[in-house]
Parts: sequence; structure tokens; C-alpha cells
Amino acid sequence: MLLVAAVAGLGLVATATSAPSASGPSAALPQVVGLRRLTASQYRQSVADIFGRDIKITGRFEPEVRRDGLIAIGSGEAAISTSGMEQYFGMAASIAEQATDAGHRAALAGCKPADPAAADDACATILVQRYGRLLFRRPLSAQQAAQRVALAHRVAEADHDFYSGVREAFTSLLTSPDFLFRIERAASRGPDGTAELDGYSRASRLSYLLWNTTPDETLLQAAETGALMTDAGLRAQLDRMTASPRLADGMGAFFDDMLQLELFSKQTKDPQFYPKYSQLLAAQAREQTVRTLVDQLVTKNGDYRDIFTSRDTFMTRTLAMVYQVPYVARTEWAPYTFEADSGRSGVLTQISFLSLFSHPGRSSPVKRGVALNEIFLCQPTPSPPANVDFSIVNGTSMTQLKTSRAKLEAHATDESCASCHTSVDPPGLALERFDSLGAHRDLENGVPIDVHAEIDGKSFEGAGGLGLLLHDNPRVSSCLVRDLYASATGRSIAAADKPLVNSLTKTFSGGGYRIAALLRTMALNPALYEVRPSPAQATAAPPVKVARLASSKESNR
Amino acid sequence: MKTPRFSRRSLMRGMLGGGTVAMGLPLLDLFLNGHGQALANGAPMPTRFATYFWGLGLTPSRWEPKTVGPNFDAPPQLAFLKDGGLDRKTTVFTGFTVGLDGKPSHPHWTGMAAIMTGQCPAQLNKFDGLPSFDNAIADNIGRGTRFRTLEASSFRSAVTAYSSRGQDSFKMCDDSPLALYTRLYGPGFQDPNAADWKPDPRVMVKKSVLSAVGDQRTALLRDVGVADRARLDQYFTSVRELEQKLDAELRKPEPCESCVVPKAPEERPRKGDVPTVVYNNQVMSQLLAMALACNQTRVVNYLFTTATSEIYRPGDAPVYHSHTHEEPVDAKLGYQPISSELADVSVGGFGTFIKALEAIKEGDGTLLDHALVMGFSDTGWAKIHSIDNIPMMLVGGANGRHKGGQHVKVAAEPVTRVSLTVQQLAGAPVGSFGTGSMATSKPITEIMA
Repeated sequence: MLLVAAVAGLGLVATATSAPSASGPSAALPQVVGLRRLTASQYRQSVADIFGRDIKITGRFEPEVRRDGLIAIGSGEAAISTSGMEQYFGMAASIAEQATDAGHRAALAGCKPADPAAADDACATILVQRYGRLLFRRPLSAQQAAQRVALAHRVAEADHDFYSGVREAFTSLLTSPDFLFRIERAASRGPDGTAELDGYSRASRLSYLLWNTTPDETLLQAAETGALMTDAGLRAQLDRMTASPRLADGMGAFFDDMLQLELFSKQTKDPQFYPKYSQLLAAQAREQTVRTLVDQLVTKNGDYRDIFTSRDTFMTRTLAMVYQVPYVARTEWAPYTFEADSGRSGVLTQISFLSLFSHPGRSSPVKRGVALNEIFLCQPTPSPPANVDFSIVNGTSMTQLKTSRAKLEAHATDESCASCHTSVDPPGLALERFDSLGAHRDLENGVPIDVHAEIDGKSFEGAGGLGLLLHDNPRVSSCLVRDLYASATGRSIAAADKPLVNSLTKTFSGGGYRIAALLRTMALNPALYEVRPSPAQATAAPPVKVARLASSKESNR
Repeated sequence: MKTPRFSRRSLMRGMLGGGTVAMGLPLLDLFLNGHGQALANGAPMPTRFATYFWGLGLTPSRWEPKTVGPNFDAPPQLAFLKDGGLDRKTTVFTGFTVGLDGKPSHPHWTGMAAIMTGQCPAQLNKFDGLPSFDNAIADNIGRGTRFRTLEASSFRSAVTAYSSRGQDSFKMCDDSPLALYTRLYGPGFQDPNAADWKPDPRVMVKKSVLSAVGDQRTALLRDVGVADRARLDQYFTSVRELEQKLDAELRKPEPCESCVVPKAPEERPRKGDVPTVVYNNQVMSQLLAMALACNQTRVVNYLFTTATSEIYRPGDAPVYHSHTHEEPVDAKLGYQPISSELADVSVGGFGTFIKALEAIKEGDGTLLDHALVMGFSDTGWAKIHSIDNIPMMLVGGANGRHKGGQHVKVAAEPVTRVSLTVQQLAGAPVGSFGTGSMATSKPITEIMA
């Protein structure tokens, strides 16, 4: 092994590229059945866990791709463009630079070079294999390791510095597709072509779902020994991982994805209307929602449906200004419970949802309604029809209509518009007492805001009424189960998944809508680690969940 | 990072000894010659190409010239073309349309996608995996520059451009003047007119790092299925393009008279109001024009805004997109006044862009004479999401190949004829373009010199 590395280091390139035997185990690696680009938060968390939390990551991530409502699914389709590659390469160089600098190199576990001013292939091999395994989430092939050791050798020799060589080897590992993509490989195939993931791929699915990070040493060992492929071994890892406080990271990332909170990075507000808006407010609004949901559903193991009605949340001074509530705590964050008559209850009345699905200068019942249906009910709204006859709207002087409700009612007289607006507008109108920033208001252009609405024949009033309606809507829990399952597998729900999803939904409701229990039941099922042949064909016509009304559909660009 | 103690000799040894074939040859050339592969003296100026996109079309009745053929009149929204005779370098296209062939028309997406890929995509926000045509041009004229294509937008939430190499992976935009400036003129920039040029050894190290990554290609592709193979291929293409960028950084740039390295621009708060976007456009137009003049890239894809333009007038609650749908047509004027005002701003940005190219003297003409810029939008009349008569214009001499000064009016012919013509004028060896009813092999010959 070391000899191979040294020879490659001397430049007999032909050895590595033309003789397949040199590639060693890679020839025997199982077939790739999935390729999921790391999300920005997974990348950050993985690097922090491998090289340390103080490593700074500066650069721009390739934009996330959202499909069928989730980035977790989109990442299974996402590629890496040239401009994205440029960024990943720059980030890799900066991370490797920090990880091998004078302050960090002592922490690099594995070995110390005999002479720090010279190449040391034995030591470099240990470091490359150790950190390569953590970054690739499986052991490096002999060829992969030899290439990096050879690189380290060349650079260390030229620069008279062992760690310069390690730095470049790490940069190369961090730029590799095996790091930037979660490469899922099959261990075996059933008669119908269904692939069973191998232990390492299984470890990654578990780790990114539950902790939003790369598998730790214990989990990698369970994959290596084969324990993870047994029921008992899987159960043991699940026990360990769901009991860990890190479950909050995994679920936090899941809710961030489900609620489309990454849209905050593109949000703008017109300061003439909303002088209180700032990047700090945006960041805290995002965190508030994640904190609230993690606290209620993970820390307190609460009933999922209560996220639509609970008045418990967390507050900061900046957020309190928009919520118009007093802030007396001395800490940056403090638990807070809204007053019963505050008009605030549930996640729909938080700044995150209200402000993300608004225009820069005014609220949008349509954007909110479309988002609500898509996010919490898994009911996407089709694109508006092309070449709509706007003559009816045209005939009305829209500028004379003071409220959004009045404008929408003018709209809804057109039949082709009405088919969607009847399901989209009512929840949006019920939230109209919150402006584009999420602050409370009673009037719009001097006219009192009417927040009565009706869905499926049920009348309700305002955000409180809407929250209760959602709390009791069975679609809400089945939608969550679908999203969690799709997050784990990285694929849209196909017809063949439905029996399992339905059975999980029953277990979820039977168990009092507790997420931790749902996760365990789901992750113990071997089906979660299977990949059916060509999922693109199995799902047939792709669902239209990406489609939103034109007003908000540009979310990815 | 501390400066590495590489000597030219140690690098030579490193490369000759340990380099892969991929990194060996170009660098060897570099060192054996002692300078880069210069463009031959006296060679013609390179052709440059740019797309300039703005959202929400233009105002019917306010942009279509009344006269057809040469010496067209310039209606209000094209009045900027009369400045300095830009109209003589311009072709305006009207009457072109998009053939849906039974596919849905995704508002604000289908029209642009049809122009860029020749096909109406089945899904919103996708190109059905097809590459956009700017790549065919870039692969032909963009080789050897730092950036095969360069993407930017004056609108802060435009994250990706309408340019894809395939696999529905869209290229990232630099979305602020400072970000664009840093990418272009920050680390890795070689001033072509610097007196003391020498290759940066760190760039050579970067190259060997990438080589180690690229060498994994064969082993990895052996194990994957079709869909994942395409995505991995794209990854390795990106690695290769990055290697080529480093090659360009290692080559001694040809001195370039028209290249004047700009100063770092002022960064303004992130807003989508008209003054901010107009400022960004002004600065970015100059940065991009200079990037073309300084041979950093030959192909630019620029978005003034995304298709559903969300620019707004300060203090006016509805954004532009909302206005186009909600604002009534003024009976006296015959159009939507606010929407029209915002369309003026959008197409005015195009004027700023081409004037930035025209302002740079190059050889015996201007940069614009050696360039071809396609200005276009996503809709004809945004109010009804019309994909008929989407505004499209070509400006620039394309090194003498484009015969401007014309208004080309057709009756419902596919937009792909314009796309095909553009590719041929910009020097891409493309004989046909588009699928279904939009398949064409008929360029618009009357504008080809």
C-alpha cells in the first residue's frame, strides 16, 4: 500500500490509471443507486464535526433545489455547476488551510510526521485514510488514498512542509464527489431489481436524517462490522441516536426544509414600509420557528398537531419589537408565551411564515394560502393558466379596492381563476391581520380587515380559527409523515410507498402524534433502506408540487 | 495563507515527475516557451457574446417599430437606441412566437426557456435537462478564457441565471456589484498590462489538487446508472472547466490596450427598489464590459431581474409583477402607466448595458462592434402571460457578421429562428435548433453580412 503510494508519488501515473488492479477494492464497490448533494447545512455540520466547530466556512453554496416541496428530494437531482464548483473548491481550500494550520494540526488525530519539514508517506497515509473515511462516509479505495498521498508527497517535498502536503490532500478530499454528494451504494438486489443499501449508505441515511451530519465513528463502525445491517444492530444505533440531544439538529434541519425557511436568504422588504426589517430580524425569525418546533416536538415530545395552536415560543428583543410584546429577559433568547388574547397561536402566526409568504411592501393572502396548502397539507397549487382573460379584473379599478379581500373577490369571479383561488384564498384571508412583516394590524388602507373565511363548508375566523381547523385536519399529519419519509429516502413518494406511508400515518396518530416514535418506527423498517429500480419511471408523471402561483413560483431563482 | 516556497525548479520536477497527463501538457508548454499561447499578432479581435434578460416584457404599442426593414423608427421604449446611432447596430424582432406542441405554458418560464433551449419544458423551473444555447457559443469562442461563461444579476434575489449546461442545474449569478468585482478582479485575476507578470505557484498546486479529483472519474462512472451518470458527468465537466480557468490564470495574458482594471465598487444595502437595481445595473454593466475587454470571459449571461420581476418604486406597495396583473389599462393612454414605467426602467437597463460596451474603444471600433448582445424577455404582454411577440433584440457588430439597423417582422414564426441566428452570428457551428414545431434550420439571413 505504502509502496503503491510512493510509486504514484514519483509520477508513474500509468500505474494508477491504466492498471485496474491498482484501483483495488474500488472495482468491487457496489453499484451506485443514489447521489444526493449535501445541503449547505449538512456541509457545514459535517465539516464542524470532522475538523472542529471553530473552522470558518466562507463561500457561497450552490442554490438548493426544491422538488415536490423538499430540498431533501431536490438534492437527489441537484448537480454541481462550474460556478458552484469554483465556490466548493475555494471553501475546501480554506477549510483544509485552517484544519492544518499551526493551531489545529496538533488536534489532527492519527499521527505526527517524523520530520515536519519533509514528506512522510506513512503518516500522510494514516491522515488521508482517517479523514477521508469521515468525509466520504466510507473507507477510501486504495486508489483514492494513493492519489492523495502522492499529492501530499509532491507538495510537501516542494514546500519542505509536511502539513502543506496534508492541506492539499484534504482540499482534494473536500472537493471530491464522494464528499460533496452522498453516494448511496447497493449491497444486493432483490428479484424485482430493488436494491438494498449497504451498511455505509444506511449509516448516512440515518445520520443525516436524525442528526443532519456525517456518520460518527460509532455509526461507521456499525456499518463496517455489518451490525447495522441486522435488526438488533440497527435498533441499538437508533436508541443511541434518538436519545441524543443531536436529534434536535436533525429535526431542526427537517423543519427548516419543510417550512422553506431558506427563503429568508433571498427576502427583501421595502424599508419605507418596514423600517424594522433587518438581516438580524430575518435570522432570528428563522431561528424562532426552528426553536419552537424542536422544543415542542423533540425536547417536550409533544403532539405534532399542537404546533398550529400553541402560544409557546421563544423571543428576542428584536423579535419582540415586531410582535409588539415586552421583552424583559437579559439573555438573547428567552422562552415566551403569547397572551390568550394576543391573536398569536401556532406556527402560522410567527414572523417566519407571515413574512416569507408576502410581497416586499404588502401582505399576500395568495402567497400565504399557496404556501400553507403546500407545506402543511402537501397540496400544491397548479400554475395559473396562461393567457388568462383579465378583462373582468380589468374593468374594475383595482386601485379603488382598499383591501386584499376586495381585490381577490374581484378576481374570483373568473371561473378559471376561481378553481384554485377557492382553496388558496380563505386561509390567506384569515391571516390578513398580519402585515408583510408579520406585525399585527386591524386596518388596511383605513378599512377594517375582515378575517372570516370558509373552507370545505366550515366557517372560521382569523388565525386562531385557522389553527384549530388545521389541528383537526387529518391531512396535516399524513403530510408530515410523507415529508419525513421523503426526507429520509431523498425521493418523492411513489405509488409503491403509499401502503407503508399510510401504515406509518396510522401508527403516528395511534401513538398521539409523537415524532420521536414515528422516526423509530420508520427507521426500523428495512424499506427505508431500499431503492427501487429507476425511481424516475416508478413515480410516473412527476407531481406538480413545484408549481406555485406565478407570484411566488420563482423561489429557486 | 503563507506564500509557498515553491521554486520553478521544484515545480517542474513535481510536474514532470508526479503530474498527470491532464495537467502536464499545457503547463509544460507554458514553461518551455516561457510565455503563454499568445493570440497571433494581428489576429482579428475575438467575438464576444452576451444575453441580457429582463422580466415581464415590454408595453404593447410602446416598443414595436412601425416601419419594417432598415432605418426603423424607435418607439418610446426603444428611444435609447437613437443615442449615438446604436439603432444602426441593432436588429429588432417582432412577430415571433412559441410553439407549445401540447405542453403547458408555464407563466414567466416557458417563453424564456423556449428561446434558450428551443423547447417548451414539461415542468416549471426546468429546461427538461437541455443545455441553453449560450453554451454552444461559449464552447466555441470562450475556450482559453478564465470564465467559460459569466453570470450576474443586478437584482439581489436572482440566485441563478437562465443558463444551464444540462441536468437542470442552473449557473449561479453574482448578484451584487462587489461580489462580481471580487470574482473578476480579486484573487486569480491577471492584469494583462502588468509589467512584472509571473505565474502564481499556488495556482499550479490547485491544479494538481483538481487533477487528483478528476482522476476519479473513470472509477466512479463505472458504477452508476444513467441519471446519476449525467449528474456526475456534469460534476466532472465543472472540474475540467475549473482546471481550464486555472490554466488561463497560469498563462501570461496578452497585453490589452482597452483593458482598464476598474476600482472596487460601493456596495449598497440589499434592496429591490428601482434606484438600487438601476445603480447595480450601471456598475455591473461596466464591470462586465471590462471583463469582456480584459478577456476574462467571452460570454456573459446577465439578468436585469428574474422573469417575475419584483422591483418596486420606493414607497409603492405592489411590486412590478403585481402591477402587471393588477393595474388597469388607462383608457386615455391605452396602456398600464406604472407597469409601462417599470418596463422603461428594465429596457433602459439594456441601454445602459450596451452603451457600456460601446464606450470601450477596441481596435478600429468599439467593443460593441466585436460583440453580439441579445436582449430579451419572458413574455409579450405580461398582463396576460402572453408568449407571443416576446421582445427580442440583437445589438453589436459580431465582428462584421451582424448586419444591424433593421426591424425584422414575421407572422408567427418560431422564436428558435432568432436563437439559431444568434448562435451562427456569434460563431457557433450550429445548423439547426429546437424541437417539434420549433425545430428550425432557417436562420434569418437578411441580418447576416
